[in-house]
Amino acid sequence: MFGKRSRWYTLILLILVLALLAACGGKATQAPAATQPAEQPTKAPEKPTQAPEKPKAEKVTLRVWTHQNESFNNAYKALADKYMAEHPNVDIQFETFDYDTYIQTLQTALPAGTEADVLQMFGSWVCSYAEGNNLAEVPADMLTVDKAQGMFFGPPIGGYICDGKLYGVPQEFNIEYGAALVNTKLAQEVGATNYEKGWGSWDDLIEDAKKLTVIEDGAMTRAGFMFTHADGISTMFYSLIRQYGGQYLQDGVFKVTTPEAEKALALMKRFVDEKVIDPVLFNDEENWVGDAFFDQLVGIAVIGPWVIPEYGADYPDVVKVAKYVKLPYEGDKPTFVAASGWGLTVSNNSKVKDVAWDFVQFVTMNADNALQWNLATGTLPALSANTEGTAKEKLVGEFPYFEPFLEILPYGEYEGAFPDRDFVWYEVTYPEVLNFLQGNQTAEETLKNIEQAVQESMK
Amino acid sequence: MFVRRWFRFRGVDAAQKRFIAFTVIPLVLYMGFWTLFPLLWGFALAFFRYSARRAGGPFLGLGGDNPFVGLAHFQAMLNFSPDAPLHVRTFHIGVKVTLLFAAMVVPLNLMITLPLAVLIESVHRRMRPIFRTAFFLPVLAPSVGVAIMWGYIYHPQRGLLNAILRKILGHMVVINWLGDPKLTIWGIPVALFAILIAYLWQDMGYNLVIFIAALQSIPDYLRDAARIDGVNGWQMFTKITLPLLMPTIQLTAILTMISAFQIFDLVQVMTDGGPKYQTQVLLLHIYNYAFRFQRMGWAAAVSVVMFLMILTISLVQSRFLKARWEY
Repeated sequence: MFGKRSRWYTLILLILVLALLAACGGKATQAPAATQPAEQPTKAPEKPTQAPEKPKAEKVTLRVWTHQNESFNNAYKALADKYMAEHPNVDIQFETFDYDTYIQTLQTALPAGTEADVLQMFGSWVCSYAEGNNLAEVPADMLTVDKAQGMFFGPPIGGYICDGKLYGVPQEFNIEYGAALVNTKLAQEVGATNYEKGWGSWDDLIEDAKKLTVIEDGAMTRAGFMFTHADGISTMFYSLIRQYGGQYLQDGVFKVTTPEAEKALALMKRFVDEKVIDPVLFNDEENWVGDAFFDQLVGIAVIGPWVIPEYGADYPDVVKVAKYVKLPYEGDKPTFVAASGWGLTVSNNSKVKDVAWDFVQFVTMNADNALQWNLATGTLPALSANTEGTAKEKLVGEFPYFEPFLEILPYGEYEGAFPDRDFVWYEVTYPEVLNFLQGNQTAEETLKNIEQAVQESMK
Repeated sequence: MFVRRWFRFRGVDAAQKRFIAFTVIPLVLYMGFWTLFPLLWGFALAFFRYSARRAGGPFLGLGGDNPFVGLAHFQAMLNFSPDAPLHVRTFHIGVKVTLLFAAMVVPLNLMITLPLAVLIESVHRRMRPIFRTAFFLPVLAPSVGVAIMWGYIYHPQRGLLNAILRKILGHMVVINWLGDPKLTIWGIPVALFAILIAYLWQDMGYNLVIFIAALQSIPDYLRDAARIDGVNGWQMFTKITLPLLMPTIQLTAILTMISAFQIFDLVQVMTDGGPKYQTQVLLLHIYNYAFRFQRMGWAAAVSVVMFLMILTISLVQSRFLKARWEY
């Protein structure tokens, strides 16, 4: 009896093992194909500006993955329609995912080889996927690293260059710091007027913020100046370090136990001590900065201009009275760190790479198309030519919120090549600095914790 | 050999066996592939520094850039120094928070659901389904919806709880129930209590239904005999009902404990582990390190530890709560 059962189990296990091996076999056959395109850029381009060879007229379906953001996706759709009109043989199909799902889908689909041909990526993620050989290098006849560094601003293109190779093209100069959004209606009501001339110093800003702050029975019901959300805290902290003349990432070594970092924390704490922000009530978990600003629970908020089209439909009255004002800075120039920006990459597994890159080039490198996308999404151009001359006039004319940012873009620096930027920003810097601002730990402990955790993640 | 024997199956008995084989094998294969393989894969990953993003070796991406690290993850977990790496420190916090949460949930759940079941059983027969439905409805609600709803209740500015307190106290109350790390009761974070209340609200319907079914299965003659012997209501509950419910209590205690260990969605939506990691349960730690920070090897090692914790506590529970009464 036992013997019979045992044989049954053997058969079942055998089938399981076969099924497993079949699955492994499928993956193994994909591996050599995945390495192939890496050889492409080694050919020196004779004519760097030459466009890739036009795709053949056979019917091609191009799958594009993006994250769910209405303004982003409408802008992509408009450009895809334009591209399909010019290339009737190409059918572009979009698949969108909400932000968190998108990250997880990329993480699992790319190694499995089930991803789309064109992938929307945030620049800071690109190198971690390129490291896994999941992304195709940009063909040298389309764009070289040198040419890209000349065409695009440093921070956005910085995220797409990994070990001296280019793995995608940015569309956005992601900016979360450098200017703050002011609710001018609230400011007028309380007589906060310093922002009208521009804040010459932090004292000017604090004076406005104090007037905008509402405290009832000891509880802050409206914050004057909010920077205590994940992006605000992290970008402000690292930007201030740079403004004070410090470095936090040099030759692959991360260090924040420095006098400059201490000064950055001291300045951030000053806003808490001056009672223009309560970091316990205003943070990512309780009152996210976008919601809080448009719900008028915050008077001045540190947040990028992408928030305007995002909230425009739901809060038209607040959008009308919102205005960006440049933030004061330490040192001689308004240096700020930026986290690359959204752009497009092509999967190494794509069977239609030539068409995929042609579409990417059409969307990102054609100045008119790139500008159209930036205007529709409320994002700052990654393409430096689009921040000058008539393009600049058009940008400011159609989206006046950009004006203060356009002046400071040349001072932007790429945040640095961290193996896992989200970990550094959201899991380490944000909670540690928030804990410090909430009074739960000293500045010394905060800096030591950040340094240790980030160094650990870089091993 | 086996195949020859297979074809030699003859008669009704053989037909039954073939039928069983044909119906069971697909299920076994399905379970094997979707349950057993991920389980084994999870165990295997615990011994590697693995990230799905890295290409790794040719066999399932193991080796190469995803190197074998042996017991390094487990050794790291034993580093209790204050200078231990962040992932180790947050793991320790995760263990403490999870144990504390489970330790509070199990007795509280049983203390609420058992008397409630007795109460529902004591009302008029026609009223029972109404109460059963009312208490079971939250179980059917999606956890994320429940988390969002309770998040609004606890919101410092717009929350219902603070609004009620404002009405009662007559002045502005802005308490951050979910986000103030300094708010504690007997050293336990208020944020954890807040999640506990939401969890109990949603989860108690399960145990309630199980207890009602168990109460209905107690033979009437035992109660009748007790009444003839002159026992009062309290004695009836403690001397007759409770001992006879011990197998059910054991089952619900284990199920509730396992469910409490697996809390994730409520925490992720309501606090995302904050404030200051005070509500970071183990499953959230595993999720963060596996999917947000791509350290699947570490996350797998923590999963193994979590599995062993649940197994040990379940075995201990089943031993201590072993029923001494049979009917």
